Formats: sequence, C-alpha cells, structure tokens
Amino acid sequence: MTLSAPTTQSALRWFVPSDTGTHSPRDRVRGLWGCVACLVWALVVAVLAGLHPVPAWGAVGPSDDDPANWPQYHRTYNAWRFSPLNQINKSNVSKLKVAWIHQPGVLTHGLQATPIVIDGVMYTIAPDNQVFALDAATGKVIWRYAPKLDPIVKEVFYQSASRGVTVGRGKVFIGSLDGRFIALDQKTGKPLWSTQLSNLKESFGALFSSPPQLAGDVLFGGTTGGDQPIVGKIYAVNADTGARIWTFEIPKDDPKSWPGDSRKRGGGSAWLPGTYDPSTDTIYIGTSNAAPDFNRDDRLGDNLYTATLLALEPKTGRIKWHRQEVPNDTWDFDAAYEALLVPDAKGKTRMVHLNKNGFVYVMDKDNGDMVDVWQFTENMNWAKGVDRKTGQPIEPNYPETSKQKLHCPNLLGARSWNHGAYNPKTRLWYSHGMEVCNTVTSAKQGPLVAVSQLSLGLSEITLVDPPGKKADGWLGAFDPITGRQAWKVRFDLPPLSSVLATAGGLVFTGDMRGQLYAFDADNGKQLWQFNAGSGARGGPISYAVDGRQYIAFPTGLGSHAPGFLTGLFSEIRDLPGGAALIVFEVDR
Amino acid sequence: MAMTPSAQVDGARRRSLTRRLWADLTRTKRRWTWGLLALVLPLMLPVSVLAQTDGASPPKAAEPQRDISVDLTDLNRIDLGKLQFGSTCAAYCHGSEGRGGRAPAFLGRSDFDPHNAYRVIRDGRRGAGGVMPPFGQAFSETQIWELVAYLQHLALQPAKP
Repeated sequence: MTLSAPTTQSALRWFVPSDTGTHSPRDRVRGLWGCVACLVWALVVAVLAGLHPVPAWGAVGPSDDDPANWPQYHRTYNAWRFSPLNQINKSNVSKLKVAWIHQPGVLTHGLQATPIVIDGVMYTIAPDNQVFALDAATGKVIWRYAPKLDPIVKEVFYQSASRGVTVGRGKVFIGSLDGRFIALDQKTGKPLWSTQLSNLKESFGALFSSPPQLAGDVLFGGTTGGDQPIVGKIYAVNADTGARIWTFEIPKDDPKSWPGDSRKRGGGSAWLPGTYDPSTDTIYIGTSNAAPDFNRDDRLGDNLYTATLLALEPKTGRIKWHRQEVPNDTWDFDAAYEALLVPDAKGKTRMVHLNKNGFVYVMDKDNGDMVDVWQFTENMNWAKGVDRKTGQPIEPNYPETSKQKLHCPNLLGARSWNHGAYNPKTRLWYSHGMEVCNTVTSAKQGPLVAVSQLSLGLSEITLVDPPGKKADGWLGAFDPITGRQAWKVRFDLPPLSSVLATAGGLVFTGDMRGQLYAFDADNGKQLWQFNAGSGARGGPISYAVDGRQYIAFPTGLGSHAPGFLTGLFSEIRDLPGGAALIVFEVDR
Repeated sequence: MAMTPSAQVDGARRRSLTRRLWADLTRTKRRWTWGLLALVLPLMLPVSVLAQTDGASPPKAAEPQRDISVDLTDLNRIDLGKLQFGSTCAAYCHGSEGRGGRAPAFLGRSDFDPHNAYRVIRDGRRGAGGVMPPFGQAFSETQIWELVAYLQHLALQPAKP
C-alpha cells in the first residue's frame, strides 16, 4: 500500500493548479501572490517537462488542498466536483483502461456513494453501511467495517443505500441506516464512538442516507423524512467524542407557518450532505419538501423551513440567513441539492442553487439576497415563473384535493439528486436534467401507522411525457450565473449519475444502462464510452497515486428513482442491478 | 385517466373474467401438486428461491397457504384496493397501475399468484435492483387482500407495451 503524498517528481508529470472558488479578501490577496508564484513555477515545469499547456485560470484555493486527493464529498466546499488533474485529457481519454474493480458483494440499491481518496487510500461505502478502505492504486482491501444494524432497518422505505463517508480528524464518519453517527479509526476501521440520533420507530424510519459533514470539530447532517409525518431535524455532534451539540428542527415552531398541529407531521429534512465554507465559518444545507407532499389543506402557511436553503452557524446551529425557494410546497420540490459557490464575471463569489422545481437561484452567498434566477428545465408549468428580484413563485398552480392536475417537473425533480460539476477554466456548470412530467390527484392524507409508510397526500400519480414531446434526459453545460447554455447532449433515459469535471478538459458521467462516458468540456463531443454492465447512480471521482491519475466510477443501478421512472420508460424494468466500483487509468 | 376502472367492466366481460380467474385457480391447484413433490426434495426449493433474490430474505415456501378472506372478484374490494394502491404503492415505486417498479408489470401478468402477492405485501422483498419494505404493519389482512384483488384485476387486463 502506498500512502505517500505526491512528490515533486509526480508533480512534474502534469501541471496541477489548486482549484476552488470562494475566498475571503485575505485569501484573494494570498491568491494573487500564489498565482504569480504558480505562473513562474508553471513556466519552469513547462520548460523542464515540455508536457501540457498551462491552464489559464487564476483562482487559487486553500494551500493545503492536494490535487491528488478527493478529500470530501464534492471534493471542495464550493461543491465543484472538479479535479485539477490533467494527465487524463482529451488526447488520451479514448485509451482509458480498467486498472482495478472492487465488488463489495452486496447489491441492494447499488452503489450511490462518492468515494473519498486521501493520500493513496480510498474510503467508500456499499449497501447496508458496509465501509471499505482500499489501496487506491490496486483496490486491495485495507479494512472493512460492517455495522450491526437494528433489525428495524428492514422495515424502512429508504433502506440499504448510502451516499458516502466523510474522512477527517483521523476518523471515518458515517451516518447509519439505523439513525446513528458512527466514527471509525481511519487507519484500522475500528469503531471509536457511536451516537444514536434518530429513533426510527418514532420517526417513520427517518435515517441517515448521506454522510454527515465536518465543520471544524462539528459533525452535522440530517435524515430522510421529507415524505414522512414527522418533524425533520439536522443534528450536530462533537466529531471527536460523539457528544451532541445542537439539533435544528426544520419545521419552524410558528403557527403562521404551520396552522393547527400540521407542524408535527410537516416532514422537512436535510437528506443530502451540506457543505462547510471555512472562509466564512458557514454551513450551507438545503431542506426537503413539506409533508403530506401533495396536499396542503391542513398546512396553509409558508411551511418554513421546508424547501429552503439554510446558512447555519456551526457552533450553535443558529440561522445566519435562509432562502425559502418554494413557500407552501405542494409538488415535492425539495431545496436539498448542492450549494454551488462560483465566481461571477466580476470575480465575486455567488451562491448558485438548483431546486427540484426547475429553477436555478443565484444569490449573495453572505445573506441569501437574490441576484438572479434562471429556468433550468425545458418543461415547467407549476408556476408562471419565478420573480428575479424576490425569488418568489409567480402564480403557482397548487394541487387541489380530488382534482387531477398535470405538473412539470415531476416529483423526482428537474434533476434527481445526482450532482453537477463546475470547471473553473471553461466557467461552465455541467449538470443532468430530466424532462418528465406527472399527473397528480391530491387527496387528504389518512393516518399512518407503519414505519414503511410515506405521507404523500395523493390518490393517484402517473409519470407522463411533457405536452407534445417525448420525455427524456440530458447533460447540459451552462454558465451558472446567467444560465446561458453552451451545449447539451440528449439521453433517451434520464441519467442518474453525478458528474465529474477535470482539468483535462473532460466531463465524466454514466447512464442507467451502465454506459460510462467522457465528453469534451468545451463542446460536449463524446470522447470515450465504456459498458459497465449496470447503471451509474453514484459520484465518479478522479485522484492520483504516485503520479498516476485515476478515474473511479461507482456503478450498479439502485435507489427508488429508476423504479419509479419505469412507469414511463418500460426498458428500465429489465435493467440489471449490481455493485462494482470500476477504476480507470491510461498507459504512461 | 379513468378513476373507476371497475365501472368500465361490463357484465359479459366480468363473467368472462370470473371464468378465467377460476381457470387460473384450477391451474394453481395443479401446480400445488407439483409443489408438494418438490417439497420431498427439501434442498431444491430454497435454492430456487435464493436464485431469484440476493439471499437476504429467508425463503417463505414452507408457510401454509392462508385462506383468502375476501372475494377477490368483488368490484368494491377491487376499487378499495385501487385507492390504497394509488395513495401508497404508486408514488416513487410501482407507478400508476403498477407500470413502474423493478418488479414485473402487473398488467396482463399471466403467472399472478394471490398468495405470493399477499406474502410480498406483508413481508416485503429484497432484490438486486431494489427493495420493498414490509407493509404487514401498515395494512390489515383485509386491506392486503383488497390490494391483491386490485393486482389480480390488473393481471387480467391486457398487457400494455
């Protein structure tokens, strides 16, 4: 096993600028000096090595950011999913070959994780919370941790799947399927502490499907529960001891927001990983839809803080600012997706946030004020639009009890949770989208008794084509600030893989059939394709060990989304499940 | 979409459905005879069941058949089952009329077995592609049979492409 950081020798093999987008003013000054230094260094490298052209962007990030690593869920706190490595690039990507494959031996719901790589070791998670540390150069298993889970996990709707682990402070952290945060020793995989946070019996199975994130010594994260009759919560514990610090109740304790006792069944959850911006000491985390999903008769208020992007103080859990994107949500339009931080044309960092409702909200990252909003999806009819100044929906068409209505986007959203990626050189944001609508007949939600049940508030739901068109999906490249589209590639089945962008000018993703792709970041031209045998639903990453760059693809079709899409795309029914982490490299 | 499919089933069609249903049940009885033979070879059955799952669920083959406590052809029961299906099973999973999901489609399904359907609703099922949680705590025995009645009704409809 190799644990060495990249050496000077490895750095000479390709030019690797540090990435990242957001900085304090002090960082920016440091960045300028860093840029001058890096240009000098780059010239030396270019002369000595005579290899690749120097990427021409000036953004320089935290000095401790090792380009060989993928240290956190989105790689960097700005949620770019961008690797600064360029050994694999447009000229050689067609020669990608398999370096190794890891099969965890458990398949249920496939591989949905984004692996973490730090100093030559990959940390990842398979179905049923099975955690692995692997030699990132060979795939050899270093340790494995299989928790003993409370048998109640077998009764829960959102069972088996996990989106990843978090590594830091000498530990590997997971959020478990039976409602715990667990810390493992990073070297051995031995459990260090475990803190029970969610009681599945009392919360209709609210569990951790995403890895909790670090904000210094604060470990925070939320559960599933947007579709459950509960008060959804975000939990924070001390990362070193597991001691509880604070709990944030997402449905606000305010009768104006939640009439009667509707708050108690209001749902609200933060089921995807948040991000932590150390330059402002801020947690960004988005929340889910309100419950019952499609019936608002008993909750005629704004239903704060559901469908909201929250900026929280890590030490206390207090709100710094919030932006509710869908007041009184009745379409299942979560605001849970990644909080992207990118520079605008003047170099000012902006918050860019896709909602399931088909709009991208561009905000001031320090107070949530609206800068602009742009329409992401081609088919949208749930409102006339969104006001660019206030961010409020214009004439929303709410579901009504016992009436059947057509809504676009459908309940899976303008995109599922599969994250986009941003390349600071092209200044483009690459994201999947789907053009699928649904008819819904809203209905009063009856009482629920079992942990497997959801609070949906409907009597009928049918996925349908957009009016006059055939439903499909796409990969789009957009200016994230203005929404200007650079290119788009259509897919007949909506892809559910997260996207990876690299400094090699490449965009990687995969589809539900298991075809993996690399596209030219500038124009969307397909440069590589590989048949993995089962669909892609996780987060592809890139990293390097001993000067060699790798692309890692979690494959194996899972989650509820493919099954629900079968209603419109019957081919999905026969697509196989699986679980294989496939790692690619090129010959040197 | 049609909200009351049973209302569209006219008298003649209903009688023909009933005949087909009885024929199906008779065939099922014949299969039970073969099933008893299979039980004589105790290893074979669990192996065949395991082959269809990832091995996480124990085989349920040894459980005695439960009496069907409602008339599965009763149109009121079918309607109640349809309502329950629409509000619980359709969203995120099986889709309208069971056209979604990773399980075989319900419409026009020739091998529909009401007892097996009852067990799967009650106990759930794990497969490679996904997992269905148990709904035995969510529904009464009667409610589960009503769901089965609706699924059987769908199985007797023509399959859609």
